[in-house]
Amino acid sequence: MAKLQVRGARKAYGATIALKRGDMVLESGEVHVLIGSNGSGKSTLCKIISGSVRPDAGEVIIDGRPVTVTGPQMARELGIGIFYQELSLAAHRTVAENISLARLPANAGVFVDHAAVGATAERYMAPFADVLGDGFAADTPVVKLRADQRQLVEIMKTLATEAPVLIFDEPTSALDSAQVERFFDVLRKLRGEGRSIIFISHRMDEIFAIGDRVTIMRDGETVTTMALSDADHDMVIRAMVGGQEALIATGNADDEGTRRTGKTILSVQNISGPGFSEISFSVAAGEIVGFGGLHGQGQSSVLRALFGASRRQAGTITLNGTPYTATAPRAAIRQGMAYISGDRGHDGVITDRPILENVTPVHFLRNRLTFAFPGRLRAAVLPALQALRTKYATLSHPISSLSGGNQQKIVIARWLTDPPQVLLLDDPTKGIDLATKTELFALIRELAEKGMAIILYSSEDSELLTNADRILVFSGGAIARELTGADRTRYNLYHAAYEAA
Amino acid sequence: MSGLVAQPGAGAHTGIGRIFERFPFLPAFVILIALLVLNGLFEPNSLSFGALTGLVSTYLALMLLAVAQTYVVYAADIDLSVGAILSLVNVSIIVLMQLMGGSALSVLVACFAGIGIGLACGIFNGIIVAGLRLQPIVATFATSIIFTGIALYIMPVSGIPAPSVYWRTYGGRLFDVPFVIYLAVAVAVILYVIARTRLITQLLAVGDNQQSAYQSGLPVTMTRIRGYALCGVFAALAALCITGDTASGDPLVGGAMTLNSVAAVVLGGTALSGGVGSVAGSVIGALIIGLVNSLVFFVGTPSEWQNLVQGLAILVALTVGILVSRRAGQ
Amino acid sequence: MSAAEPGIGRTAALSAERLVRQPIIVALALIAALLVAGELLSPGFASGEQILRLLIVAALLGIVAAGQNLVILGGREGIDLSVGGVVSLSAIVAGNIMNGADAGIVPAILACVAIGGLFGLINGVGVTLLRIPPLVMTLGMLGVLQGLLVVVRQGIPSGNAAPALSGFVTQPFLLGLPGIIWLWIGIGAFMAFLLRRTVFGHRIYAIGSNEHAAAMAGVPVRLMRVSLFILSGMFAAIAGICLLGYSGQSFANVGEQYMLPSIIAVVFGGTPLSGGKGGYTGTMAGAVLLVILQSILTTINIDEAGRQIVFGATLLVLMLFYGRGRAMRG
Repeated sequence: MAKLQVRGARKAYGATIALKRGDMVLESGEVHVLIGSNGSGKSTLCKIISGSVRPDAGEVIIDGRPVTVTGPQMARELGIGIFYQELSLAAHRTVAENISLARLPANAGVFVDHAAVGATAERYMAPFADVLGDGFAADTPVVKLRADQRQLVEIMKTLATEAPVLIFDEPTSALDSAQVERFFDVLRKLRGEGRSIIFISHRMDEIFAIGDRVTIMRDGETVTTMALSDADHDMVIRAMVGGQEALIATGNADDEGTRRTGKTILSVQNISGPGFSEISFSVAAGEIVGFGGLHGQGQSSVLRALFGASRRQAGTITLNGTPYTATAPRAAIRQGMAYISGDRGHDGVITDRPILENVTPVHFLRNRLTFAFPGRLRAAVLPALQALRTKYATLSHPISSLSGGNQQKIVIARWLTDPPQVLLLDDPTKGIDLATKTELFALIRELAEKGMAIILYSSEDSELLTNADRILVFSGGAIARELTGADRTRYNLYHAAYEAA
Repeated sequence: MSGLVAQPGAGAHTGIGRIFERFPFLPAFVILIALLVLNGLFEPNSLSFGALTGLVSTYLALMLLAVAQTYVVYAADIDLSVGAILSLVNVSIIVLMQLMGGSALSVLVACFAGIGIGLACGIFNGIIVAGLRLQPIVATFATSIIFTGIALYIMPVSGIPAPSVYWRTYGGRLFDVPFVIYLAVAVAVILYVIARTRLITQLLAVGDNQQSAYQSGLPVTMTRIRGYALCGVFAALAALCITGDTASGDPLVGGAMTLNSVAAVVLGGTALSGGVGSVAGSVIGALIIGLVNSLVFFVGTPSEWQNLVQGLAILVALTVGILVSRRAGQ
Repeated sequence: MSAAEPGIGRTAALSAERLVRQPIIVALALIAALLVAGELLSPGFASGEQILRLLIVAALLGIVAAGQNLVILGGREGIDLSVGGVVSLSAIVAGNIMNGADAGIVPAILACVAIGGLFGLINGVGVTLLRIPPLVMTLGMLGVLQGLLVVVRQGIPSGNAAPALSGFVTQPFLLGLPGIIWLWIGIGAFMAFLLRRTVFGHRIYAIGSNEHAAAMAGVPVRLMRVSLFILSGMFAAIAGICLLGYSGQSFANVGEQYMLPSIIAVVFGGTPLSGGKGGYTGTMAGAVLLVILQSILTTINIDEAGRQIVFGATLLVLMLFYGRGRAMRG
């Protein structure tokens, strides 16, 4: 009998479907890998199992018994422990307190038993003793730790639940190889004890090093489950990618690089900043340059630095031949930069406000307006909205009444109402349906042909392959490889991205 | 004193940051020492044992009220009804003692009843704010109106005196040591003990990041309600002290103290955003408010300028405290 | 990921529910209900004369709430506790300047608005440049203002309101309505224009709704926030002048009673304390609602205590109408 089973789990946030149909079967004594591109529904599936997200449909079955996980407390009682990708640590509490937080040992049921808390911490720190790094002690507040050390604390906190089912949602993204090795030793030991482990990672070598079986998810659905002993990298990648067997890019992107005829608009030399260093490249008018690689390798950081939204320490940037020094988005916008982020909730959507007000902020700044007369504003924003074929009832409807894809179109229209010189696209289609994506990329190509210089970072490789004229593959904050012309194949891209990691 | 800090242990890193982390109230403590020295310079008598005892007996109520506020602020909540709870308990115990004849026994019974009333008010606040998920600022303002109403119902006009046994004890001496000293020591012990409870760690974790705490499996709602309950109890204790100090009942006595309790908490290095702080800091914050007031007097500020100078000094102390602790936290 | 609203395919039933959930409609319905109830309880309550008197009182609160509304709309825990102090200070300064003479009205207005703007500026700089939480900054400023009041007052009542000012506030001016009502209507129109038809207004909602996205779209967030505090100070100053006209003379700390009610009026008008949505028209209704509620309680035959208890409880019940916080489970 399976230890844990999920059948037909579904979750939608308004019009955005986070998980269409999640299925998986977890056996005792296995490390079960869950893989899929960003937004494919892995994290939502895990949060449904651990009770912090309420599913719209579907069932969770533990030891053959259907259960309703009403919340994290209930999940613990049912024997489920989870490592949260975004971490669930109390920043100002110590490492030891965080490890024991949910079940603080107490004397007389009232006073924190510091000795026991410390002992528990030491016990779970022990396997990692030689890879903890400087400044890591049981009594260090988590806020003082580096990113990798925090991730280790979250790992220890998860292990300390001693739950029969352990879920690890991208536990290794900030860890170095030695830390990963220690972690895997622990996982192997737990597997030997018969525990069930769900493991999410984007690193192919890790998946094969630790996994027994793999369940592959795509676009919010479970695609298949296979034994990793019978599989190789290519098989897994193919299943993730889906039926698109064509390994050579065929899309709007130019195959020979002949379109690169325009003059250089943006030239970047040796810039460094948080999360990237020594980055150099240039973009010509009419060109779409792709940023590829695994998630979080510095692509977004470079784009944000270009937009003046984060600090850059060194290097020079020229825009149209003149030095470009914007240190704030305001200055960048005035000089003709536009930045479209796929993180709508954080960077884009002005929640609760009407559609019109979501389009106009940049228009105000570019035209130095004082008054906001709806008639004139409507006339100003309509061309961009029409070009994007945005569907909406009226411009006065709140933006939250739209689907995710249409919300993103509104945000994009904000930047195209007064066309910029350089368009920075930071994973712009995250969580958007396929039809909308196609429309968007057709428009982006059109803009390029009108002479705009465009940088496109996408976490979906097929988007890069079909749309970028050149692809710069990022790894560890540097450009690992440049793919041009016929080199722009899915295989080369996956290879460069996954092997470099 | 470090036992009163709700953040046990120091990091393995070095420097000033480490000290601040262990003693988040350090900026406040430095200000306190400076104020004591200044007070001593301008009025040497102000550092005498008698004068300091007087200071404690006057400000013990504000200290306790600040402590009460601290417990909810730990969890990133706030309680604008602490002053009203204090008033309600003040009039309740006076009326109770009067009804029971003002004997020593009646005083004791009334004190326990008062603490029970504070607890009930706190639980009510907790259910309103955490249980019904209302905004703490406006919701506790509304409950403060209710508590004040009840206080007015119990004692429509101020002025009923406390039994003499009550205020004689509070202001008197035991074995030649002022009674408030025993109280202060008892309070310190109680705070030390409470700082070691599981509830405090849970409150701080909830204030640190409510969503994280929930995902970790903490009973977030229940923890916040307990925080308000604890706050109510300490507001009641503050009422017992103010009753000893003023020796009479006043249904509006606490009204002006609410905002001072918030100021004392912030002065003490506790962040209103929750997750960090110490009750020791809040006690120091209350003392700072007291010492600023006395210093302004000792310096010889013309009487009509005293309030302004006090206000400015507190504003500067608040600002400097926040800036210093932020810099240290980085 | 935050929960989104239902999609385009809303049913008629849902629209009706939305209508009921419109805070301004809730407020207006409650106002109507209270007027009817008042008339039943005490015939004459809803007479024209009586309503006019209520509106004057509501206008005073409403003008303070205009500034409070702007600060709250701007988000990031925006709140201005110093408005009470500015109202009091402005009333006294205005009284001293005009000293019963109409010629002094214009200088008084200029001086008071400048003073209010100055304190708003200091608040804004503290909140943005020094990153002091608004609650702490404006609380500290309230202390300073209360001190300043004592200095300015020098222990004596302020000068008298100029006759023209008193007439403006209390006597019919146009169409039987006193000038203050027209002023309030004017402020309402100004606020509506500001919030709906100016870039400034759109940017207030943008920073209140999603500060980060606004900054990324080129909104000067800090400058905006400072401006909001300046406007809040100015509105409080105007209210102070009107208050002087209403009472003829200013003596005690008269502004204090507007501090928290101005926040409640904003909340009851449909602007949540988290900012980013709502508007001033609702706040005007909220101010009227609060004033009527208080007035109806004074007409019922219960004592002050019962009145307060009912008032506080009613506030709590109303808050439940105005939306509760989000549940922790997604």
